[in-house]
Amino acid sequence: MSAAVWTQSLRKEFTLGWGRGRVLAVEGLDLEIKRGEVFGLLGPNGSGKSTAMKMILGLLRPTAGRAEVCGNLAGTLAARKQIGFLPENPYFPAFLSGLELVRYYGKLCGLGGKALEGRVAELLSLVRLGGEAGRRPLRTYSKGMLQRAGLAGALVSDPEIVMLDEPTAGVDPAGSREIRDLIRELKERGKTVIFSSHLLEQVEDVADRVVILHRGQKLREGRLEDLLTMSGEWQVRARGLGEAQRRELHAWLVQHGAEVLGEGSPRERLEDYFLRNLPERERR
Amino acid sequence: MRESWRRIRAVAENTFLEAVRQKVFAVLLVFALVLLGGANYFAEFSFQEQFKFLKDLGYATISLTGLLVGLLGAAQLIPAEIERRTILTALCRPLRRWEFVVGKYLGLVALLAVMLAIMGAVFWAVLRWKEAQLIGLEGGEAGVVQAIQAESRDPRLWQAFALMGAKLFVVCGLAVFFSTLATSTTFVVAMTLLVYLIGHLQSVAREQWLESGEKAAWFIQLFLAAVALLVPDFNLYSLIDEIVAGNVVPWRATLEVLAYSVAYVAVLLAAAACLFEERDL
Amino acid sequence: MSRVVALALAGGLILGWGIGKLPWEIRMTKEQRLATVGFPGPTAVAVREKLGQGLVLAALGGFRGLAANALMLQAHGAWEEKQWVRVRSALELATLLQPRVALFWDLASWHLAWNAAVAAERYEGLESETRRRIEARKWVEAGRELLERGTRAVPEKALLFQRLGDLYWQRLSDYQAAAVCYRAALTKGDAPPYLERFVGYALDKAGDKKAALAYFQELRRTMGENPDPARQPEVVEREMQRLTKELRTSPGGKRP
Repeated sequence: MSAAVWTQSLRKEFTLGWGRGRVLAVEGLDLEIKRGEVFGLLGPNGSGKSTAMKMILGLLRPTAGRAEVCGNLAGTLAARKQIGFLPENPYFPAFLSGLELVRYYGKLCGLGGKALEGRVAELLSLVRLGGEAGRRPLRTYSKGMLQRAGLAGALVSDPEIVMLDEPTAGVDPAGSREIRDLIRELKERGKTVIFSSHLLEQVEDVADRVVILHRGQKLREGRLEDLLTMSGEWQVRARGLGEAQRRELHAWLVQHGAEVLGEGSPRERLEDYFLRNLPERERR
Repeated sequence: MRESWRRIRAVAENTFLEAVRQKVFAVLLVFALVLLGGANYFAEFSFQEQFKFLKDLGYATISLTGLLVGLLGAAQLIPAEIERRTILTALCRPLRRWEFVVGKYLGLVALLAVMLAIMGAVFWAVLRWKEAQLIGLEGGEAGVVQAIQAESRDPRLWQAFALMGAKLFVVCGLAVFFSTLATSTTFVVAMTLLVYLIGHLQSVAREQWLESGEKAAWFIQLFLAAVALLVPDFNLYSLIDEIVAGNVVPWRATLEVLAYSVAYVAVLLAAAACLFEERDL
Repeated sequence: MSRVVALALAGGLILGWGIGKLPWEIRMTKEQRLATVGFPGPTAVAVREKLGQGLVLAALGGFRGLAANALMLQAHGAWEEKQWVRVRSALELATLLQPRVALFWDLASWHLAWNAAVAAERYEGLESETRRRIEARKWVEAGRELLERGTRAVPEKALLFQRLGDLYWQRLSDYQAAAVCYRAALTKGDAPPYLERFVGYALDKAGDKKAALAYFQELRRTMGENPDPARQPEVVEREMQRLTKELRTSPGGKRP
């Protein structure tokens, strides 16, 4: 079976116009994203993540190189049928309601009739926008709600691949956690999820594999475990040690030739702390 | 084919819905309706003159409103969608770009058609109101009543209406064409308005170009040729003025202008689709 | 399709259509002028006016009817204030904007040749009777000149020819010229039925009783055995009798 997304020597230059020259956004990008994988495109702002995604979607034409989606040339109808896309900072037609938005995107995918209506209702309840919330205009939505509505829109045609551009940017911790949960859920349903992020710590717990981009070029690629595991070091977390035992442990380590790089009480991540302290019903 | 039409319709419906939910179009419509009602104001002239004033004012109101709707609508079209980036969420779907362009155009035209229909109905009512008023004033003599009704129930008014609609649809076509080139709404509105104005001069430029021969300087020739070749001849639609002036305009001439409009829109949309196909978003 | 190809294709389409549409536009313009004015370009209006019109048209973008109406209202207001020069300029402009509106020429010439002229005749600022007459005559001439332009701009309608005839008759006492104008009006198809007798009246008034009689006789003949009552054959017959009688008493036919 062909890869979900495959690119070879993908390159994109933007002409600035009025003779101001060109900007190289992506250069020599080779990717192979397997089906069912959760894949992260990481890198700082301006590293070429969005440009790469847009080329895969067919919104931008590559200057050179080739991109394929499930074996189809990127940008063709066949390729686009495989992808659901949630753009960065959901820009949706604000005059629509959540329900109308998902229905509109369904129609653009060629769906219609009862099948579409059923699908829309199902998706809205999946992203918890069923009932009254779905009938409100999008301009009254919070950012998290917009993200969820957009996600429902991206999923309406039941695509093989779901692409999310900066899905957690600007979303509060609870919303961000929610999106990560959704990504996991999608993976369980066998979808390929490709997302981009510049908030590196947020992708740690969901991505199977990542590529790190810098100035349009690939810096690193691999499984997160492989990339992040510091195989030369060892870490132990324990509970119930007294002051005396700690000193004893330190001495034992030094005695056995280890260089102690750090010790002390671990700190919880602020996000986890925040979520742990929310009232029960708001955590999910 | 069928799926394609379904997608075009979805884009058109969405464009229409967007416009309808914007207050500006409702305000424009109300403004136009008030003007149309107020057009019945001049009473100190002969009834022929009163009808001419009423008709001129009616047509001017309707076409001005139509022009504004076309221009504002065009601004809402592609550049605004690019600015707000809503276009990304649409064009990443299995939707061909030409389908998007055609859908946008049809949505705008549907909006215009609905507004024209409403204004046309009100205009018709105002004419009948004037008729009743004048018959009451001038007395019920058969000849006079007949002459008044010949003005108020002139079937040629619908001929003028069709021409006006066609002209506005060409303006919308221009707007869509420019919106596939442009990055800003201002550019689209300015260019469309410019071509609209120059279009009324096209026939003069064309005749000057074809008749001037070697006499004029080359850059003047070039300018005249550019206007003649690239700009629609909006003077062809001045048949509307003929009709309002009470002159007979053959249907054949009207239908030919309508055919010209359809052809023009088709070319504009095809060119717009070509330009849009390769555009980076 | 690359960007260059797309641009070339779009440009080719627009340019190709531009070349293709030209003959079509030229033919339609010609046919429109033929259908609405009666003969092909360069329109019924003089070239100077055409160019001016074109520019004004562009500036008004299809809203010239509105501007013309505004000018007519202005003329009306100036008339009420007896500002004759302003009346004239507003009327000239209105007819320039919409030369195809017969109503405008009609109204404009009436203002000049009748209202303004009569006002001049009565103007007390001018001491001598002769000066007043000369001044009045200028306004009548202005009205006549306007109407003549009007007949060229709307040549297919009887109205302006009829009005020109009226002007010659009532304001210039040139009855022969009036008869010529009425005859021209009668060729237009939309002339009112009573106008056909006016030619005879004008010839009579000009003193050419023979011609008048001949005209009425010919007119009666064209009505046939069962004439349309709207054409009032009895009036024509009465005129024929009267003229026959008058010619008998004064056989020269010319008024003494």
